[in-house]
Amino acid sequence: MQTQTLDVFQVIADPSRRQMMQMLSKDSMTINSLAENFDMSRPAVSKHIKIMYNAGFISIKDIGRERHCTLKQDGFNELQEFIDYFDKFWASKLKKLETLLNNKSKK
Amino acid sequence: MQKEIKQTWHFNQSPKEVWEYLTKPELIEQWLMKNDFKPVVGHKFCFTHAGKNKCNYDNTTYCEVLEVKPFTKLSYSWNGSTEDKSRNFNSTVVWTLAPKNNGTELQIQHNGFTVLEDVLNHTTGWDNCLQKFAEHINS
Repeated sequence: MQTQTLDVFQVIADPSRRQMMQMLSKDSMTINSLAENFDMSRPAVSKHIKIMYNAGFISIKDIGRERHCTLKQDGFNELQEFIDYFDKFWASKLKKLETLLNNKSKK
Repeated sequence: MQKEIKQTWHFNQSPKEVWEYLTKPELIEQWLMKNDFKPVVGHKFCFTHAGKNKCNYDNTTYCEVLEVKPFTKLSYSWNGSTEDKSRNFNSTVVWTLAPKNNGTELQIQHNGFTVLEDVLNHTTGWDNCLQKFAEHINS
């Protein structure tokens, strides 16, 4: 099966994948038990798993004949980076605005 | 994990003076970026950044004015992409102004990214958020 690499935003844009992550947030699950909750073929479920795995949202561990999926921090960190970036961005811009306004009132 | 981008600033100037700095292109440019903003709902405009930034975003942010309540509230969409165009982001910036202590309390909320948080929160769904986002866009 061809592996698809999507960025974090594309990964969470899909409702099925978001649902899978929600289920995994409660506990790690095998691919089979995840698949039982979805009205899609087992290969389709595997494909979603692979996408989430590639983007760093989950890790997969083989235990016996079963593959166990667990949520992983990496994918989420990238989202956090995005938020941090803009938070700092606005703080620096507003600081600039403050300086401008204060200089203006001194004149 | 931080849930949203929300900052509150206090300025000694009146809401009217602060408003000018949020709505006059030549004044916006002084502290934010070059732009062709007009305080008219539905007006599409761009911010252009100079130089590179850490996250390698494209130098242009595409915006549309969503709400204009003089001296009180201003919001616009804030959409862009990475330089290699591999990733797009849509979000909304909302400015709120209120008179306080002979000056102005200015609040900025940069939302839309919060849809990301819902994946982590497991409370409200992404679809809810998108719906809200769409309502903002359509209102």
